[in-house]
Amino acid sequence: MKKLLFILLGALLILPMVNSAYAGGPPPKDIMKGVFLNVDNNARTVTFQKDGKKETVELILGADMKPSDVRVNKKVMVSLDKHAGENVIKSIDIMFLDMTIKRIISLLVIGLIGGLLSGFIGSGGAFVLTPAMMSLGVPGAIAVASNMCHKFPKAMVGAYKRYKYGQADIKLGLVMAVTAIIGVQIGIKFQKYILNHFGNAGSNLYVSFIFMVVLVFVGGYVLYDAYKLSKGGEEAKVSKLALRMQKINIPPMMYFKVAKVRISFWVTVPVGIFTGMLAATIAVGGFIGVPGMIYVLGTSAVIASATELIIAFIMGAWGSIQWGLSGLIDIRLTLLILAGSLIGVQLGALGTTYVKDYTIKLVMASTMLIVAVSRGAKIPGYLADLNLRPALEPQLAHTLSQVSYWALVTALGSAALIITVAMVRGMAAAKAEARTEGIVSHG
Amino acid sequence: MDSKVTKFDKNMSAVTFAEAGEFETAAEFLQEERTEEEAVSPIAKKKPYAGLVIFGAVSLCGYIALMTHQGWVSNEYTMGGWHAAYPVVTALAFSFIHGAFASNLLSVLGLEAKNH
Repeated sequence: MKKLLFILLGALLILPMVNSAYAGGPPPKDIMKGVFLNVDNNARTVTFQKDGKKETVELILGADMKPSDVRVNKKVMVSLDKHAGENVIKSIDIMFLDMTIKRIISLLVIGLIGGLLSGFIGSGGAFVLTPAMMSLGVPGAIAVASNMCHKFPKAMVGAYKRYKYGQADIKLGLVMAVTAIIGVQIGIKFQKYILNHFGNAGSNLYVSFIFMVVLVFVGGYVLYDAYKLSKGGEEAKVSKLALRMQKINIPPMMYFKVAKVRISFWVTVPVGIFTGMLAATIAVGGFIGVPGMIYVLGTSAVIASATELIIAFIMGAWGSIQWGLSGLIDIRLTLLILAGSLIGVQLGALGTTYVKDYTIKLVMASTMLIVAVSRGAKIPGYLADLNLRPALEPQLAHTLSQVSYWALVTALGSAALIITVAMVRGMAAAKAEARTEGIVSHG
Repeated sequence: MDSKVTKFDKNMSAVTFAEAGEFETAAEFLQEERTEEEAVSPIAKKKPYAGLVIFGAVSLCGYIALMTHQGWVSNEYTMGGWHAAYPVVTALAFSFIHGAFASNLLSVLGLEAKNH
């Protein structure tokens, strides 16, 4: 069995050299980073110096760009419009925003709550961090990259804490991570296919629609399960599906000590692959990974959410290297989020020791369902982009985008509230228990 | 001083009862003594103030250095290629230092995991 584990690890290490997989989508290609040296207002040309190079290039401003859009001597990200000709600029993004107090405080708070959720249910934060950063004015690619780079150290700290509480199954995490990385690649291939055939709007629609369906279906089931457990007051049982899966006897059979599950390696493969595919599209693989481990493999919610942190660590580290190679990580954003999230993740991790299994399921389900609302609110806009429905009125478009954003904030806020209440109750109960025990032993 | 007198008194009382043949009462005196000691000396639960201050200071210095050298950091860290190691290693280093600070902070605040 150990041999197999080493083979898997070996494959994990070699894979990036053979092929490049990017969790959260691949870094963009037609982008140049550097500084504008001067602007010629009449000729509509700019002198641009690429990062790390001495020589300069002449670039032409695109048709809908104004010379006043160009900020001289500030590091920018320039995307080129290959269809309009050589060296024509499509858009310019300032790479590094000035850090105002408001931005710093926002990053700290989002980090803290995102970390809390992550430590508790194994994933989360990423789905709200990227849009939140973008709404602060960070260019999309930088937001994804900086978020990715914050994810893996956070997951590492969370995984370590939960390993110490005896909840994380390292072997299961490694096995799942290998297949998840393969899933990421499949996810990207799929995305590229849709992008080539249906364009950007088609790809957006695909992501929103498919994953809204997945989130509603899986989230709804998890919620139903949590509700049943909370009503009945009984301990969580292994699902019927998982019991059937555990009976499948195709070698190699693997025994996961912490999870107390003996199952064929082949059953873990689809769970891992779907986790990766989801990670490649909405950057939160855990929404499939955790329920998959609970209902297909038969682990408890507490073990599944802890093991997900190991998967998140491996995939996050991988993605960070990829995004780092293209030089898009704004380390200031990464470290500011980490300042809050490292506290949050440890708080969430210790919180799991005070609650029953169904509380974890409840938090997970409510988060998934509210994120589904956020995705759903985007669908009418994408349908209009594809000419499948009349264009949205500006007022409606604005309302929908507000609904989408605030649904994410609500998801984060409500999860934080449930976790805090459950934890405070659990701690109070534990104290009362300790006191009663003390009285009994003294008396 | 007071507590020592009390302890001495209790021990003597226990001896007196024991000599008088009332072993149970004597044992009661001694037992009470032991539980009291347990209650006042939770050495294992000492709060990690030193760790909190040291890691907190190092972490804070790191953040100050980052914010005061923004220009240099932003430039060097985004060169791409092997410069990818900069953000990855920095994030890891911060997670160790700031993570240790956060862990100590929670302990000092009295937030500990439940022992199963």
